[in-house]
Amino acid sequence: MPGYDMLLDQTDAVNELLARYGVKFGIYKNGTFNEQLFPFDPIPRIIEAGEFDYLERGLKQRVVALNMFLKDIYSKKQIVKDKVIPEDFIFASSGYMAECEDVTPVKDIYSHISGIDLVKGKDDHWYILEDNLRVPSGASYPMIARNLCRRCSPETFRDTRLQDNRDYAKLLRRTMDNVNVGGESVVLTPGRYNSAYFEHSYLAEQTGSILVSGHELFVDDDKLYYRTADGGKTRVGVVYRRISDDFMDPMNFNPESLIGIPHIYDVIRKGNLALMNAIGNGVADDKGIYYFVPKMIKYYLGEEPVLSNAPTYLPFYEEDMKYTLDKFDNLVLKDVAEAGGYGVVFGNKMTKEQKASFIELLKKEPRRFIAQEVIDFQDLDIIEGNERVARKADLRAFVLMADEPLVWKSGLTRFSRNPDSFIVNSSQGGGFKDTWVLSH
Amino acid sequence: MGFISLEQADRLFWLGRYTERVYSTIRLYFTSADIMIDEATDSYPKFCSDLDIPNVYSDKDDFLKRYPFDKTNPDSIISNLIRAYDNAIELRETIGSEPLSYIQLSIYDMNKVNTKMTSAFHELQNVIDHILAFWGIVDDMIDSEQIRNIIKAGKRIERIDLYARLGLPAKRISREINRMIPRVEKSGLKYNAEKLENLKSLVTAPEIDYYKIVSEAETIF
Repeated sequence: MPGYDMLLDQTDAVNELLARYGVKFGIYKNGTFNEQLFPFDPIPRIIEAGEFDYLERGLKQRVVALNMFLKDIYSKKQIVKDKVIPEDFIFASSGYMAECEDVTPVKDIYSHISGIDLVKGKDDHWYILEDNLRVPSGASYPMIARNLCRRCSPETFRDTRLQDNRDYAKLLRRTMDNVNVGGESVVLTPGRYNSAYFEHSYLAEQTGSILVSGHELFVDDDKLYYRTADGGKTRVGVVYRRISDDFMDPMNFNPESLIGIPHIYDVIRKGNLALMNAIGNGVADDKGIYYFVPKMIKYYLGEEPVLSNAPTYLPFYEEDMKYTLDKFDNLVLKDVAEAGGYGVVFGNKMTKEQKASFIELLKKEPRRFIAQEVIDFQDLDIIEGNERVARKADLRAFVLMADEPLVWKSGLTRFSRNPDSFIVNSSQGGGFKDTWVLSH
Repeated sequence: MGFISLEQADRLFWLGRYTERVYSTIRLYFTSADIMIDEATDSYPKFCSDLDIPNVYSDKDDFLKRYPFDKTNPDSIISNLIRAYDNAIELRETIGSEPLSYIQLSIYDMNKVNTKMTSAFHELQNVIDHILAFWGIVDDMIDSEQIRNIIKAGKRIERIDLYARLGLPAKRISREINRMIPRVEKSGLKYNAEKLENLKSLVTAPEIDYYKIVSEAETIF
C-alpha cells in the first residue's frame, strides 16, 4: 500500500487551505443558514487499479442501462409492456413526470452526471446502495482536496502513482460540450444559500462556464438567453442545472417557483437547449426502482450485472412484505421519497411503539418503502483528535455520459463521524476523504 | 469569460466599492485611534459625522472596539467587509478562487478579533494586507480587461466619495478622478459622460463643493 504518513503530518495545513478557498457547505438549522467547513480527513480511501477497472465496468453498464430505461419510460414503455417492471412503480413514483412524455433530450442523454453510491462489505464485495441521477453533488470536494494535498505534501505524491482526479472539470466540460446546441455553457444555481453553493461556483470556475441564477436567464423566440451588462443578450446552449425538477420552470412545473426560468422547458422540448441532467430522471433513481436495476441491465443490454445491489425487498410484493415483517430487526427501511440520509430507519433501533406504528404505516403504504439487509461494510480509519478511529464510509462514484460513458477515476468518500451511525451524509454531520485510484 | 451579465457587473462594481471602503476606513481608523491617544476632546463624533454614519457609541473606547467589529452595526468595518464577501462569493467563476481567497482570509481575520477582542490592530493590518493582495492578484490573474475595469471603477468611485466626505484637498480628489475616468470609460457599462466632465470641473473650482462631488460620483452609472 502506498504511504501517506507525510500527508498526515500536513493535516492542519491542508485544512487551513480548504478554509482559505471556502470549501464549505451550507446547512439550515432551526431556520437559520450557516456555512460550515466540510470536515476533511487526510487518510485516503485507496482503490487498486484492477479493482477500479471492475468498478468502472459495472458503473458504465449500470448508467447506460439507466439511460436506456429513462428513454424507454418517457416514450414506448416497453419494459412495462414486457412486465419486467410493474407500472405501479413507474407512475406512482414521485420522480415520474408526465410532462416529460415524448420529450427527447439532445443525443438521447438523460443522466449526464450520475452519482452512484457504493459500499464495500467486509466480504470485500462492492454493493450499490443507490443511484443519484438528478443533481448528484460532491465531486468538487475530492478534486480541490487533492490539489491542496499535493501542494502541502508533494513527497507523498512523488512516491505514489495515482490517477489524477483533478481532471473532473475537463470531463464535465466535455460532457457539456457534447450536448451544447450552440451558445454559452452555464451552471444554474439556486443561489448562495444552497447547501452545495461552493460546488456550483467551483465547477463553474473550473469548467469555464458562467454561474447564473434563474432570474438572469430568459426565454425569447424559443431560445434561452442571458442578459449581458451592455444591454444585449447571449444565447445559452447548455445548462448544467443544480435546481430540482419541480423548480425549473413555473410555467410547466411548480407554479410557485421563484428560482426557475419561465418557459425553459418549452425550449428544451423544441431541442433548442440541452439540460444536464434531464428533467424527470427521478423516476430512475427512486429507491423502489433501484430494486429493478439489475433486471434492467439484463433487459436492455442482455448482460449479467457486474455490480450487485444490496439485498433489497419490496414490501409491495406479498412475499417480500412477509420477509420484511419476519426479519424486521435485521433490516434497514428506507422511504423511497426521501434523500440525503433522511427517511432511513433501522429496525433494531426502534422502540416497541415506534415499530408498531411503522409497521402500520408500512402495511398502509407498502409502495413507499424498501427494506434492505444491513450490510456489514468495511470501516475506514479517520483521524479524530490525535487518534485513528474506524468509521463507516461509503463511496460516491461519478459517471459522466459524454460522447461515451466516462467514469471519473476517483470519487467522494464520505464517512460518519458518529461511531454508532451508518449515515455518512454531510447534511447529517459527515465528513469526506479523497479517493485514490492507483495507476497500476 | 465570454460575456459579463448585468448581475455580474453589478457585483463586480460593488466588490470594488466595498473592498475600498474597508481598506480606507481601516486606515482612517488607525490614524484616528492614534490621535485619540493624546486628545483632550473626543474626536470620534466628528469621525462619524464626516463619514455620515450615526454616532451610536457611548464613548471613545466603545467606538474603538465596536466601529471595526460590531456585526450588528451596518456601518461597521466588518459589515462592509461582509458585503464585499457577499459579492465576491457569487463571483468565484468570474474572478477565480485565488482572488476570492483573499476576501475569505479577511473575513477569517476579522472574525478572530471579533471573538477575542485582542490584538485588534494586528488583525486589521492583516485585513489591509489581504485587500492589497486581492487588488494585486486582480491585476495579475484576471485576463478580462472589462472585469478589472469594473472592479477598479467601483474602487475609485468609492475613494472619491470618501475623500470628498472627509473634505480632502482638491489635488488628492483630482488625482483619484483622473484614475477613475479611464476605468469607467473602459468598463463596457453604460455611464453618464456628463458626470465625468462635471467632476473634473468641480475639483478645479475656486471653492470645492464636496456634496456635489459625492452626488456626481454616485450617479456615474
